[in-house]
Amino acid sequence: MKENKWGKALRILMIVAICAACLIPFYVLLVLSLNAPSRVFYEGSIFLPDFYWHNFIDAWNKSRIGTAMLNSAIITAGTLLVTIATGGLAGYAIARHATRYNKFVFGLLIGCMMIPGIINTVPLYVLMRQINAINTLWGMVCVCSALAMPSAVFIYATFIRALPKEMDEAAALDGCSPFSTFWRVIFPVIKPATASFVILNGFGIWNNYAQAVFFLQSRAKQNIPQALSVFFQQFAGAKWHLMAATAVIAIIPVVIVFLVFQKQFIQGLSDGALKG
Amino acid sequence: MLYGMFFIYPLIRGIGMSMTDWDGMGKATFVGLQNFIDFFHDARAIHDIKTTLIFALGSAVLLNVMGLCYALLMNSNFRGKSLARVIIYLPAIISPLIMGYIWFFLLQPGRGFLHYAFAQLGMTDLIGSWMSSYPSALLVLVLVNVWQFSGMTMIIYLAGLQSIPSEVSEAARIDGATNWQRFWRVSVPMLMPAIRINVVTNIIGSLSVFDVIMSLTEGGPGYATESLSIYIMRMCYGSRTGYSTAVAMILFFIILIPVLVSMRFTRQKN
Repeated sequence: MKENKWGKALRILMIVAICAACLIPFYVLLVLSLNAPSRVFYEGSIFLPDFYWHNFIDAWNKSRIGTAMLNSAIITAGTLLVTIATGGLAGYAIARHATRYNKFVFGLLIGCMMIPGIINTVPLYVLMRQINAINTLWGMVCVCSALAMPSAVFIYATFIRALPKEMDEAAALDGCSPFSTFWRVIFPVIKPATASFVILNGFGIWNNYAQAVFFLQSRAKQNIPQALSVFFQQFAGAKWHLMAATAVIAIIPVVIVFLVFQKQFIQGLSDGALKG
Repeated sequence: MLYGMFFIYPLIRGIGMSMTDWDGMGKATFVGLQNFIDFFHDARAIHDIKTTLIFALGSAVLLNVMGLCYALLMNSNFRGKSLARVIIYLPAIISPLIMGYIWFFLLQPGRGFLHYAFAQLGMTDLIGSWMSSYPSALLVLVLVNVWQFSGMTMIIYLAGLQSIPSEVSEAARIDGATNWQRFWRVSVPMLMPAIRINVVTNIIGSLSVFDVIMSLTEGGPGYATESLSIYIMRMCYGSRTGYSTAVAMILFFIILIPVLVSMRFTRQKN
């Protein structure tokens, strides 16, 4: 379709406006985080900061965001490992053996995909207390794994169904057990499935707040959103420069990961979503 | 196994607990449906349902409309396309909680960024305290949510649009279809899988909204913008464990019904 010149210009203009709307809040945050403590809100110029870098050092020391970042990293890595290992195997079994039991489990998992975590959080809290998993990172890994599990099984089952069965048979002839068939033969072939799963769920786990609020209350174990909300409530509206600097520190890792992997990211999101 | 223990078991246990008056510590007594009856007699709870539904309806509709518009805008070749896509998607990767705080800096009455910006531009009429009265605070929450996640719906619609073979819309054009007809008769039916995934995930996400409200308004003013998820958490901390699980069961049905309806609706058209 040929578009006339004005149409094209208008289109570009609108896209630029949308991009600006997406970036301005980040810019404002950055300005705030670089303002000197003596400056009240946006006094003077609203667009130019004082370039007071010391805020970041202050924020880092006062907010315990470093510990929180480490906790978030452990939780995210642990959850992804657990779900890929178990969800991948389950997806393999479901894709290859259409027994009644497997169909039932698959249907159950897909059904539960529709249920957000908050629904069962309270009974889960009781369970977690009984097994002493409150304020532990492994407890949080278990909770997040359970939340991400349906998505993992679903993605792996869909990808594995598209693979020819001959691959399994050849591996079996070579003496592979089903277990090693999956890890040695299937798993390396379906890297896109793993990528898609990590992309669709990784950020959600990293950013989890609704569950962290219940299960990670101690200051030593809190994750990033939890640490930030505790820190912000302490100041209740004052010291914006420190609050903003902490927020900047908190979003830097996600932004970097996103920018580095953006191609794979958008590809994986499109693949994973449209197979659903 | 793991899934069973940390998801299914609590879910079933929750059904049982929702019928007790347990406070989280002592002994639980069976009270039948009393919790559910209490819920519908609690004005705050009814208001929370209303807030949650308005938030979800507004978010789901706007997210899909905006996402589709963005996708249609982006569905052509121009320089900097992938850059624009990355920028528009950027807000969606940030924790909604942090996003709420960022918007808090922008929207604070009297000292937020928008206050100063409007003042400098001389548009003093636009200055208001958006967050301190009920309907406007809810509107702000919806808009922030839409602002944050439009990029996500856009990517999915864009993938859907690109999967439509160009021969199909070309053929429709040769048959004399106008742009408008081509959009409704050709693009929309072929976008059904994308519409379905977007609508369903948006409904689930926005009906269980938690983070952004916590950081932007904390459910305030008063309890005006409290969502059901926040109500559940507060009831749980208020030592009404049994009651809060009952509320969770109610929320479960509030989510289930529109999800099933929208799935049925998008399937028939397909």
